[in-house]
Parts: sequence; structure tokens; C-alpha cells
Amino acid sequence: MKNSGLMNDAFQWVSKKCGTFKNVILEKYGEQPGKMLVHTGVLGWILSSAAQVAAVVFNDKISKEQKVFLIPQEIADAAVNIVSFYAITNSVKAIASKLVKTGKLTTPAILDYLKKTGIKILKNSKDVSPIGKWDFDITKLSNFDEIEKQFKPFKNGVDVAASLLGSIISCNLVTPILRNEYAARQQKLALTKMHDKQMKNLEHPRGISMAEYQRRAYAKASGLKV
Amino acid sequence: MASINGISKISFGNSFTSSIKNAGRRVYNAIPNFKPIAGDNMIGWIEKFGRKCSSAEQRLILGATAIFMQPAIDAHNKNVDEKTRKVSVARTIGKVIAGTLTGFLIRKACIKAMDLKMFKPSNAAKVSKDAYDQYKNAMGTIVALVVMSFTNFIIDAPLTKFITNLLIEEDKSGGKK
Repeated sequence: MKNSGLMNDAFQWVSKKCGTFKNVILEKYGEQPGKMLVHTGVLGWILSSAAQVAAVVFNDKISKEQKVFLIPQEIADAAVNIVSFYAITNSVKAIASKLVKTGKLTTPAILDYLKKTGIKILKNSKDVSPIGKWDFDITKLSNFDEIEKQFKPFKNGVDVAASLLGSIISCNLVTPILRNEYAARQQKLALTKMHDKQMKNLEHPRGISMAEYQRRAYAKASGLKV
Repeated sequence: MASINGISKISFGNSFTSSIKNAGRRVYNAIPNFKPIAGDNMIGWIEKFGRKCSSAEQRLILGATAIFMQPAIDAHNKNVDEKTRKVSVARTIGKVIAGTLTGFLIRKACIKAMDLKMFKPSNAAKVSKDAYDQYKNAMGTIVALVVMSFTNFIIDAPLTKFITNLLIEEDKSGGKK
């Protein structure tokens, strides 16, 4: 009886928390699909990177010594992926958002609204207008609600397109280049370590120097006549 | 003395960041305004793209562009020998195909599942239809990410391995011919 009461309380607590979480998501991302794509993209990268690290950690076929090298490598690879994704995608989205908010990138309907509001529209290069300037923000105008219905869908469209462009640049261009560069360095480092370990255990025959012994061994292995 | 040094460091930091900000502001203001986007069709397309492009479509577009870009980058990687390069290209193709297929399908299914009553927030009636649709995309994507933390092991990894091996074997037989 006591147990069922506890279960009931726990269920109510979980459903209350879930309800709050759903409303937070609705409030946070309902009007900002571009932001949602960036945030869920980062979360996706974190989870898939965690899976890659876990795959190494729980793989019995990989020795302890190899894990010491592979786990930091996977973590570093994940950090490159996550940081480059967030930095590039978020920056491209933020620039696109700024272009729309300041009126640098606009539509005829938004321009008409600005004209109606009494803001000077640029007609030639000598004109001075706040439109397109860093500190100008259409959403802060007192009569913004007059254009809100046309402005928001346009801004959301530009934001989503910019997020997509940013993610293509980071995932398909920057990350593979950085990853290849990093992996090549790690591979060289690992090979050098392996080579050094082998050389430590190597003994040269009496009568010749170690350098001469190595030279002869290399020549023999590569099929060259000395 | 220490506090004076601290203050001078802070003021140096502040003036440095504010001068960068000012430079950025000047560059931004110098860029001429773009011509207003003309044509109702184009504006309608941008608005529709913002409404309809969920994380599932984003994953599909990302995968479609990745299949052209990533293997080409790996194929031109001069830091590794030819054999490693071939395996790396095959593995990248495998990863892109497996990741895109599962990523798209799971996201799409989870976003569709947001129509179920249990996922409806109590404040749904207070917002517009567009905002509610965006909520479904966001919540569906979060649920999909949880699902994918399992399918990464169950589907992605074996499928990537299968496609990679298939491509390597095909390349070997192609070489014999």
C-alpha cells in the first residue's frame, strides 16, 4: 500500500517535470528554428562522440596500452568536431540574423514598413540612413507588431538556411581537413614511439657501430645492394 | 600593487575587446545594403524553408553534400600512404551513407511521433501553429538523439563496417580486371 503510494508520487513528479520540460522547449525553440538546429546539432555531435569513445572503452579486443592512446585521440577528435561545428554554424547563423535584423538583407514589404515608420531609405551612396547599420534593430522599433507577421517567417527562413550552410561548411569541409591533419600527426607520433621502443631492444653485433648496423639492415629490408 | 596590476590587466582586456568590437562594427557598416529580395515566389520559398526544414531534412541535405565533399578531401590527403587513403575514402563513404540513412529515418519518425498526445505541452494552445510545428521538430529531434545513442552501436557501426568492406573488396576486384 505504502509502495503504491510512493510509485504514484514518483510518477506524478516525473510527469510534472516532463510537462515543464515540454513547455521550456516550446518557449525556447518555437520561434527560433535556426537556433534549434544549431543546439540539437551540437547535442548530436556530443552523443555520437560519446558513442565513439564508449566503443573504444568497452572493446575487449583493444589492449590496455592501445586504449591509453586511442581514448585521448577519440576525445580530441570529438572536441575538434564539436567546437568547429558550434563555432562555424553559430557564427554563420548569427551573421545572417544580424543582416535581417539591421535591414541589410530585407524584402520590399519590410522596406515599405520602414518607410511608413518614417525611417529614411537609402537611394544613393550620399544618403545617410540607419538601415543596415550595426546598432539598428527592426525588432526594437515601437511599432514592430505591424510587420511582425511578415518579418518573423522571413527571418526564420534565413536563419535555417544559414544554419544549414554553416553546418555544411563545418561538417563537410573544415572538420574533415582538421581531422585528417590531426590523425596524420597522431599516426606519425605513434609510429615514432613504436620505432623507438623497437630500437631500444635492438642490439648490434660486435665489431660494427649501431648506425652502420641500422644502415645495413635497412638496405637489406628494402632490397638494395650495398 | 597586485590589485593595481589586476586593474590594468582588466582595463587592457576591456579596451582590447572594445577595439575589436568597434573594428567589426566599422567593417559591418561599410558593407553596402543588399538589394531587397524581389519576387513573392522567392520570399515564399525562404519562408517555407524555415517552416518545413526540420533536423531530418537538414541531415539529408548534409549527407547528400557530404558524399561529394568528404571522400574527395580524404582522397587528396597527402599525409598518408595510398593504401590507407583508399581505406579512409571507403570508410568515409560508409559512414556518410549509414549515418545519413539512419539519421534521416529516425529523426523523421520521431518528429512524426510528436503528434501523439503524450508529447503535447500544456501551453500548446497559447502559441501559433508555426511555433507548435517548430516545437514538434525540436522535441522530435531531442527524442531522436536519445534513440540514436543506441542505434549508433546497433545499426550505424555494423552498417558502416559492411559498406566499407564492400567498397574495399570491390576496389580490389576492380584492380584485378
